[in-house]
Amino acid sequence: MPLSLTERFSLKRFKQGSPARNASVMLNHRRVFILPNRAGFTLAAVIIFMLVASINYSNSMGFVFTFLLASATQVSTFFSFRNLSGIEVHGLKCAPCFLGQNTSASFIIKETEGRDRWGIVATIDGQQLSIAHLKPHQSYPINLPVLPSQRGWYSPNTLTLSSVFPFAVFRAWSPLLFAQKLLVYPRPLSFNQAIPSLPAALTNSSITSPSTGADDFSGFKTYQPGDPYRQINWKAWAAEKGLFSKQFSSQQSAQVWLDWHACSSANTEAKLSELCQWALTAEKAQLRYGLRLPSKLIPPANGDAHLQHCLQTLALFNLPADA
Amino acid sequence: MLKSRLNITLMRLLLGIASLLVLPHIGTLNPLFIVISLALIAWSAFVHFFNRFSPSTWVLLPLSLLLAFLVLKLHGMSLGREASSSFLLVLLGLKLLECRRQRDVLAVIFVSFFVLITPFLFEQTIALALYGLCLFFLLLCALVVNASGSTAIRPAVVAGFAAQIGLLAIPLMLIGFLLFPRMIGPLWAMPKDANNAVSGISDTINPGQISHLALSNETAFRVRFNAASPVFSDLYWRGPVFWQTDGQQWTASVNSGGGQGQAHSQTPANTLYRYSLVLEAHHQNWLYSLDSPVAAPDQVRLTQDKQLLLKDKLRRTRSFNLISNTQVKAELINEKDRLRALSLPQNTDPRVFQLAALWRADSSNDINVINRGLAHFNQEDFYYTLTPPRLGVDPVADFLFTSKRGFCGHYATSFAVVLRAANIPTRIVAGYQGGVYNAVGKFWEVRQADAHVWVEAWLDEKGWVRFDPTAAISPNRIQHSIDFSNQRLGGEVRFLINPSEGFSNWAIQLTSLMQAVDYYWESGVLAYGPEVQHDFLSSFGINGWEQMVFWLAILSGGLIFLITLYLYRQVVHKEDPSQAAYLAFCKKLGRRFAYKTPSETSEHYFSRISALQPQLEPGLQKIRQHYLLCRYAKKDVKGLLDLIRVFRF
Repeated sequence: MPLSLTERFSLKRFKQGSPARNASVMLNHRRVFILPNRAGFTLAAVIIFMLVASINYSNSMGFVFTFLLASATQVSTFFSFRNLSGIEVHGLKCAPCFLGQNTSASFIIKETEGRDRWGIVATIDGQQLSIAHLKPHQSYPINLPVLPSQRGWYSPNTLTLSSVFPFAVFRAWSPLLFAQKLLVYPRPLSFNQAIPSLPAALTNSSITSPSTGADDFSGFKTYQPGDPYRQINWKAWAAEKGLFSKQFSSQQSAQVWLDWHACSSANTEAKLSELCQWALTAEKAQLRYGLRLPSKLIPPANGDAHLQHCLQTLALFNLPADA
Repeated sequence: MLKSRLNITLMRLLLGIASLLVLPHIGTLNPLFIVISLALIAWSAFVHFFNRFSPSTWVLLPLSLLLAFLVLKLHGMSLGREASSSFLLVLLGLKLLECRRQRDVLAVIFVSFFVLITPFLFEQTIALALYGLCLFFLLLCALVVNASGSTAIRPAVVAGFAAQIGLLAIPLMLIGFLLFPRMIGPLWAMPKDANNAVSGISDTINPGQISHLALSNETAFRVRFNAASPVFSDLYWRGPVFWQTDGQQWTASVNSGGGQGQAHSQTPANTLYRYSLVLEAHHQNWLYSLDSPVAAPDQVRLTQDKQLLLKDKLRRTRSFNLISNTQVKAELINEKDRLRALSLPQNTDPRVFQLAALWRADSSNDINVINRGLAHFNQEDFYYTLTPPRLGVDPVADFLFTSKRGFCGHYATSFAVVLRAANIPTRIVAGYQGGVYNAVGKFWEVRQADAHVWVEAWLDEKGWVRFDPTAAISPNRIQHSIDFSNQRLGGEVRFLINPSEGFSNWAIQLTSLMQAVDYYWESGVLAYGPEVQHDFLSSFGINGWEQMVFWLAILSGGLIFLITLYLYRQVVHKEDPSQAAYLAFCKKLGRRFAYKTPSETSEHYFSRISALQPQLEPGLQKIRQHYLLCRYAKKDVKGLLDLIRVFRF
């Protein structure tokens, strides 16, 4: 997609990359930049010294080799470019993570032009991964550790692919910004520690444990498909009163509310951390749990999808809804 | 200990290159530094291959300082070409020794590139240039290996990159070489050692002077005539002119030659020769020219005694376009010059005057005196030899009356002295005589062995006339150039078993060819300095350094563009011909009915068109089937093209 004029002349392009658009990017002349590195400037100084010596001694062969070196260096820039161009980079979907937890941004780079590539370095936030040799048409996964600094949606910083091949005096690089987003859940309270006892709010709502109250009959309800046959009130059905299921108290009492107002801390982030920890604990204890936030209510349920939903709600709590 | 082991192949390559870089310096540099640098290379080989004797910084630093001081000390505390070459060699060895990281490897390679051009400060032969090219290629390989950062990269791949880059760099280098504005003269005062290599004729002549040249096969200069060459006996190449003698030696009158030479309006045109002369650097002020030059090129002065003088000493091979006339008419001599040309040292032997009087007595006029003198050399017991006996305090009298053995230096100086004693103004001219014609390159090659000295005498009716007393004694000296390979000290002739005629001819042809190549090398490449560049480029209408820089930018930019195209061409994906045909067909359909959206498959698009134009459906289906077969079953594209061609909308 063509760049707008302001984007094209923006200096950010060279450092941060063009605005993210796609999940996959092909490196080409618009994306690969090249500048001499420190060794390149040293070589330039050497070439100038050689030129001065050649001029001083009016030495033809001196000129020949000085210009040959300078020309070879110039020509090498094409090969630096070719070492990167034609590589396709796919940004992969990243799994959500908890704040404070190390996660990684994942990409796949793919050689598409059938040439060997040498000495490519992938960098995000100073974390490097070297790929000494990328074979023709080879796909190579890149996982670079990232450490998000706050909850919510996190976009990994610019991925920079660079190489100093073939002479190590020019550095070709391509800054790549991907639209891929990583959901960062709040930091659970003492994530790495043993699960603490359930807070008062949870225990005081007098939930009997599912094992003890499993047989306390509490009433009938209309049969719904999926209710166990054992719980169907066959007598009522035989009396042609209709199909009813028996209900037992244990199913009622295992339901908890993770309530915003029940949190012990005053700070929003700390409260979210507590709620996050509760959700994890409740899921682990196979309770049915609901989430009660000032702005949102999630009815009790359990299972992985429910946990994800709750954690996502916590992660995005009070954040501007952009994504 | 090494912090991290470097790529051992790379180290091997670097050590090999370093040793090869030292080799051409053997014989030119102080052997001490050759030995030191080889020792440093050996030491680093030990360090890198056996991981032993690794020097600490506390050893390296004082060692570097010591060696740097030693280089300066042994070269008179100045950084001339010998000192800087030695210095760079030592630096290369030290840098190899402390090569630990990728950065050090680069430093070694950069220093190696610099060292690569140092042998050319001493000698610029084709062989050395080819040698340098090989080393350059190896250095590019080293750069590639270093940058790949991988031990897995195969030598063939490395060589492929280096060769491709090197070859693409050559046209760019040529543009730089031709168009980069050359500056005249050194940027700073030339270090002393750069001009100590005086070769050929020097600015003083004593009778025994020329003998060391007689066996030198080195080229003095090469000449290419624009039209026909003069006859061989006219090939006197005029150099410095000597007026003054102290009895022992003659001194060139480089700075007292008087003003500009006169124009010779009456010179006959059929003896006028235009030629270009490629003169090797001889570190003297004068040029050599066919006797006698009639005009001076730019920045060269033609003196009254027909010397062509440069402002500065000739420090590099240069090419000159000259005009000479082998028959120049008389000019005038002023009284001052006449007296100069008659002056004799106080202590001239009386026998010289007696001999002069003898010649004078037999002759009616000056020309007869001279001929009498030449006859004297011819008839008396004079020998031509390159190993004459040692002469005493008065070389002229010793030679004339005692030894009677000598070569051109002896004959010319003695002859000039006797003529002066006979009151005939004379001067001595040094230069070369003859040369070897190279039929392949169509040029004359004049070698140091052709060095010659002759006499010019003033005859009132004819002006300055050339007389060659050596010719009187040894006529075949004038007929052929001395063949170096047959000439032996002591005049012995060694009889070699001659190879067969055919082989010999073939060998001569080959030699001519090599000399011709060398001529083009010298005149085209080595002599390419400010003047040649100016002449060459102005023939393309490029004048002045601004235009040179302009065209340098334009041409190298254009070339870089071409290289871009060349490399891009290799990258562009070739579109499948069936797809190209299909897309073109879709475009045609689109113009009539509805365009295909990029996301649409052929099935969707054609059914959409069929809905609009039901009568087209069978044709479209056929095309689609064929297209899919071409794309996925590698069917020949020709059928698809035919179908599209016969399709009626």
